[in-house]
Amino acid sequence: MTTVLRANDIHSFYGKSHILHGVSLEVNEGEIVAVLGRNGAGKTTTVRSLIGLTPPRQGSVEIFGKDTTRWPAHRIAGLGVGYVPEGRKIFGSLTVLENLKVPQARPGQWTLDRVLELFPRLNERRSQLGRQLSGGEQEMLSIARPLLLNPRIMLLDEPSQGLAPLIVREVMKVVQRMRQEGLSVLLIEQNAPLCLSIADRAYILDDGKVVYSGKAADLAKDTELVNKLAGASSKGATPSHAANAPQPAVN
Amino acid sequence: MELLLFNAFNGLIQGVFYALMALGLALILSLNSVINMAHGGFLVIGAYLAYTLIPYLGFWGALIVGPVLAGVIGLIVERILIRPIYKRVDPIYSLLLTFGLALIIEDMTRTIWGPQGLPLEVPDIINSPVSEVYFFITGYRLFVMGVTAAAAIGLYLLLRYTLLGIRIRAGIRDLETTAALGVNIYKLRALNFGFGCIFAGLAGVLAAGVLGLTPPMGNSLIMPSFVAIIIGGVGSLFGAVLGGLIIGLAAGVVTTYYPAASEAVIYLMMLIVLVVRPRGLFGEEGLFE
Repeated sequence: MTTVLRANDIHSFYGKSHILHGVSLEVNEGEIVAVLGRNGAGKTTTVRSLIGLTPPRQGSVEIFGKDTTRWPAHRIAGLGVGYVPEGRKIFGSLTVLENLKVPQARPGQWTLDRVLELFPRLNERRSQLGRQLSGGEQEMLSIARPLLLNPRIMLLDEPSQGLAPLIVREVMKVVQRMRQEGLSVLLIEQNAPLCLSIADRAYILDDGKVVYSGKAADLAKDTELVNKLAGASSKGATPSHAANAPQPAVN
Repeated sequence: MELLLFNAFNGLIQGVFYALMALGLALILSLNSVINMAHGGFLVIGAYLAYTLIPYLGFWGALIVGPVLAGVIGLIVERILIRPIYKRVDPIYSLLLTFGLALIIEDMTRTIWGPQGLPLEVPDIINSPVSEVYFFITGYRLFVMGVTAAAAIGLYLLLRYTLLGIRIRAGIRDLETTAALGVNIYKLRALNFGFGCIFAGLAGVLAAGVLGLTPPMGNSLIMPSFVAIIIGGVGSLFGAVLGGLIIGLAAGVVTTYYPAASEAVIYLMMLIVLVVRPRGLFGEEGLFE
């Protein structure tokens, strides 16, 4: 199996705060890899380091065999790396169609027409402004956008955040569909059970370090371990998490 | 009554220059996150280059080539001086840099073209008064308004309908996400800075036809242009244009009754807007928070 993405002992910072303390992980071709962890464990920083938005100060990132550690984000995306940011980051003042025109499209099977076919809701709402969409529709748009890059790997940062359970299942179906299309997926999630049910392998981050890595199926059986390492009920996570959690989207 | 009309019209023309300046400033502020204190410098560059080019290209050619060259110089300045400071979050770096640049451009202009004022010859066909009673409404002033309107509409169409424009708007909202979608934001910001400088250059050529050329000519226009942005609302290009016209008109009208306050009135208006509606007439809430 070929490794499409590899992080080697990366250390990342926000200003002076040291967030990642040597994270190593890899994604093989055609795999769905889950990254779990509590709020503040460094999940988002990890994915931001991989896509070039928060370049690591130490260690290296290798994508499709190229050392991308110091590359700017647009160059990494240009390799065929799709990124679905935390909080969806829809361009609210742009229409749905305009949102889909922002990506620097690369040739391939994913054209605007095909993406709109996959997401009929977006097609219906193509002339509406991004901020007028429901949470679920915004998530779909956030996933649809990088597909136009015809990525070979997708990095999704908490796509289920703040969505109603029914929509979350819909999102997971789309992720599985991506794998069927031959994409590799790195899936950052807090919703452990759901995410483990579709993933092949999983990593758990805590305090900027990888504290567990193994088969997703094994981890899914060991709920105690998941709760201990990545559970939202653990110390420190609960109050801030409850306060920061966005309201579930009402559709 | 006639004096009021005279002053109001003069004010409106001033307002047109503010609006053109404010458009470029607002573009650069929104996407490049730079408060371009050197914007008046690019106005001067556009105006003086047009002056130099008129013997070779005629007025019409210089009207186009002057601002375009100001844009090209803007591209070079962006690449060499502005790009290295994007990663500095503190705005003091870009303020100091562009302020220094403004001084350098002004003195270079003085060195090359001399400190004295120069006239910019405007073709006769657009320079005659439209009517005898309203002598102050010259064809040239109407022409200035027409060109400004055309430039503003052109910019609107570019931002609204072209791929480049869509990406500029996306970048204004969220530069990181735009970059992560594969858009080369360095190129995007460079082009945007260039566009902003073209607008400054155009304001320079048009203003020179009314006010003549002097090395510090940009200075008297830049502060009111910032005021126009604040009144119109940061982040709104339409607001910048409207803000420019409003303060120009207000200054003109006040000149009729109490000339000494003609400059103060625009700052008073800014004060009122900041107290009553801090985001400005058309600004989006929280765009720069």
